Amino acid sequence: MKISTRFAALGAAALLTLAACGDAGSENEAADNDYEVVDSPKFDDGTRMAEIAEAGKVKIGVKFDQPGIGFKAAGSDEPTGFDPEMGKIIAGQLGIEPKDIEWVETISDNREPFLQNGTVDFVIASYSITDERRQVVGQAGPYYLTGQQLLVAADSDITGPEDLKGQKVCSVTGSTPIKTIEEKYDVTPAGFDTYSECVEQLKNGSVDAVTTDGSILLGYAAQDPDALKVVGEPFSEERYGIGYSKDSPELCTFLNDTLTKAFEDGAWEDAFDATLGKSGNEVPEAPKLDACA
Amino acid sequence: MVSTPMVAMQGVQKHFGSLHVLQDIDLEVAQGEVVVVIGPSGSGKSTLCRTINRLETIDEGTISLDGQPLPAEGKPLAQLRADVGMVFQSFNLFAHKTILENVTLGPIKVRGEKKADAEARAMELLKRVGVDSQAQKLPAQLSGGQQQRVAIARALAMQPKVMLFDEPTSALDPEMISEVLDTMTSLARDGMTMIVVTHEMGFARTAADRVVFMADGRIVEQNTPQEFFDHPQSERARDFLGKILKH
Amino acid sequence: MDVLVDNADLILDGFWKTLQLVLVSGAYALVIGVLVAVARVSPVGVLRGAATVYVTLFRNTPLLILIIIAYYGMPDIGINPGFFPLITIAMGIYTSTFIAEALRSGINGVPVGQAEAARAVGMPFGMTMTQVVLPQAGRLIVPPVASVLIALVKNTSLAGAFGIAEATFRMRGLLNDHATDRWWIFFGIGLGYVVIVEVISLIAYLIERRWKVVTR
Repeated sequence: MKISTRFAALGAAALLTLAACGDAGSENEAADNDYEVVDSPKFDDGTRMAEIAEAGKVKIGVKFDQPGIGFKAAGSDEPTGFDPEMGKIIAGQLGIEPKDIEWVETISDNREPFLQNGTVDFVIASYSITDERRQVVGQAGPYYLTGQQLLVAADSDITGPEDLKGQKVCSVTGSTPIKTIEEKYDVTPAGFDTYSECVEQLKNGSVDAVTTDGSILLGYAAQDPDALKVVGEPFSEERYGIGYSKDSPELCTFLNDTLTKAFEDGAWEDAFDATLGKSGNEVPEAPKLDACA
Repeated sequence: MVSTPMVAMQGVQKHFGSLHVLQDIDLEVAQGEVVVVIGPSGSGKSTLCRTINRLETIDEGTISLDGQPLPAEGKPLAQLRADVGMVFQSFNLFAHKTILENVTLGPIKVRGEKKADAEARAMELLKRVGVDSQAQKLPAQLSGGQQQRVAIARALAMQPKVMLFDEPTSALDPEMISEVLDTMTSLARDGMTMIVVTHEMGFARTAADRVVFMADGRIVEQNTPQEFFDHPQSERARDFLGKILKH
Repeated sequence: MDVLVDNADLILDGFWKTLQLVLVSGAYALVIGVLVAVARVSPVGVLRGAATVYVTLFRNTPLLILIIIAYYGMPDIGINPGFFPLITIAMGIYTSTFIAEALRSGINGVPVGQAEAARAVGMPFGMTMTQVVLPQAGRLIVPPVASVLIALVKNTSLAGAFGIAEATFRMRGLLNDHATDRWWIFFGIGLGYVVIVEVISLIAYLIERRWKVVTR
């Protein structure tokens, strides 16, 4: 199972190289924001924060295939997008320079396993907060609110989810959006390993729509506005959180403090402007954080 | 004999790699004639037998059956093979078919005969070779001698113009050899054209019209059985007969 | 446990899709595989060569690459019959090479004298194959063909990442939504595959037993 996923991801990566070469538009260029890097931060002994700060490097799992959110173009050294920017903000509060962050590609399937087995320290990968997930991993936030929308061909008649009955709708295999839409609107689900594959299938007419969080879809629409458009009001609420291991619950307070600070000192807004803001999203209100347990 | 020979081989050459297994073979077999081919192992006698229905191809020369040259691979060759019965050393009965089906398969599938007709004739033939009581069994349930007699019946069912026997008794236990030879002898008496490769000198003496002696891929000598066995002309034949008749 | 019961309709629907993938790809594979195997032993050199190239090409290409070629290559040249036909064609072609090889080894396992005897009674090549060689190769190929089909069952899980809502797709969806019930989900989906594979093994066993007559 895991193996097939990895192979599929490899195949997808190869395709991206072939098919999407040069597609990565200006919104995927590295943002040159400088976030505060705290000099020798103070943490209580024995906390995970102290350990990470001591080590001087941090491993963060992000998406590599979502323009605007987390995207790594073929040949580039580091991922770009709102999620990696959030990663840099958090690393800075641990006293770690952006260059000392190890970016690990995560897909929807492996976010919890990566946290549970210590492959990464944090997951910042369009990771919606749910009660189910919070039983196995920690999720601090939300740091961003979005909702499920539809990406369709520019000449499509589909204007919203009500038009989808019996249509093929693509999303990433194992993700929440595909299930929501299947249950609510009686569509035929079509799963692929990455959103870019879904977009490819939409372009060649194999599926009628792609659904996931509007922020992700806007990124794709911005890349190819002549062929693609985002339609409909958001029909779900997704609250992106920062995933961490349940073994280190002390991280929650640290993350919430960091987010609160970023909301207040403008770092969060800068991060947004440099990434999602470029693909047509207005800077939203800073979301209200969930309290730590 | 003025009529067309049933089998005619002219200038036939065949190599297995560097081994020249058939050299300058000229052989004619008349209708109704029984020719026994003998010779030491490796003399090419089995190969000669197998070239006549093109189970082995030849490099040079011509082979005709009843005046028709052997066609190349394809439908015409298949049709011609149907007219040539062949009995193998290892019987080669169709292992997944009953004895009766072994005999009827060719007539039904190749000749397009009705099943009932084919079965009726098959039962006659099985009766003639003495295994009609085994008709519903599978080949593996029969003794070697019985299997070989079924193989003869299978070949006869196609109503062949000529029958080829490629060492038909070599794989049999001694006590089963005579039952097969008896069947062949009666077939010879009935006027079947037969080419028999064998080591059974008794059969050659009693049933053959002519004995062909082969050595090293060549036909060294041919004669009536009487003359051949009593007055072999060549050194090779004398040597060969000396060795096998000593025992 | 509840997660399996609550989502039984989704899981069963997934396995129904899995089964459809197996049946359709398997049918393609068997038909193409028999033709290719027969071509590989045919007296016609061109057929033998073409069949050898076919097997070499498609057996040695990873299935995932064949699927990707089907999914991205065929629509590019204007052929886009949809996900199910595309993936079953890719899986059918891939699996057919293994069927062909299993058959060929079965054909080679039938003593050459059987084919000679068939030719000697005047059967052309095709009839020699259908009447004498293939029926006997059949019982030799049941176990290897069953193995190929079992591999196919498991290979269909790739389809979950190619637009088909089969069992593995359902599993991944459930894993995403029910992070606390992972083991039950693995167990339930795994059990489903085991059942399908066991059914194939059972059928193979029955066929083998039925064909198992004393042959020599």
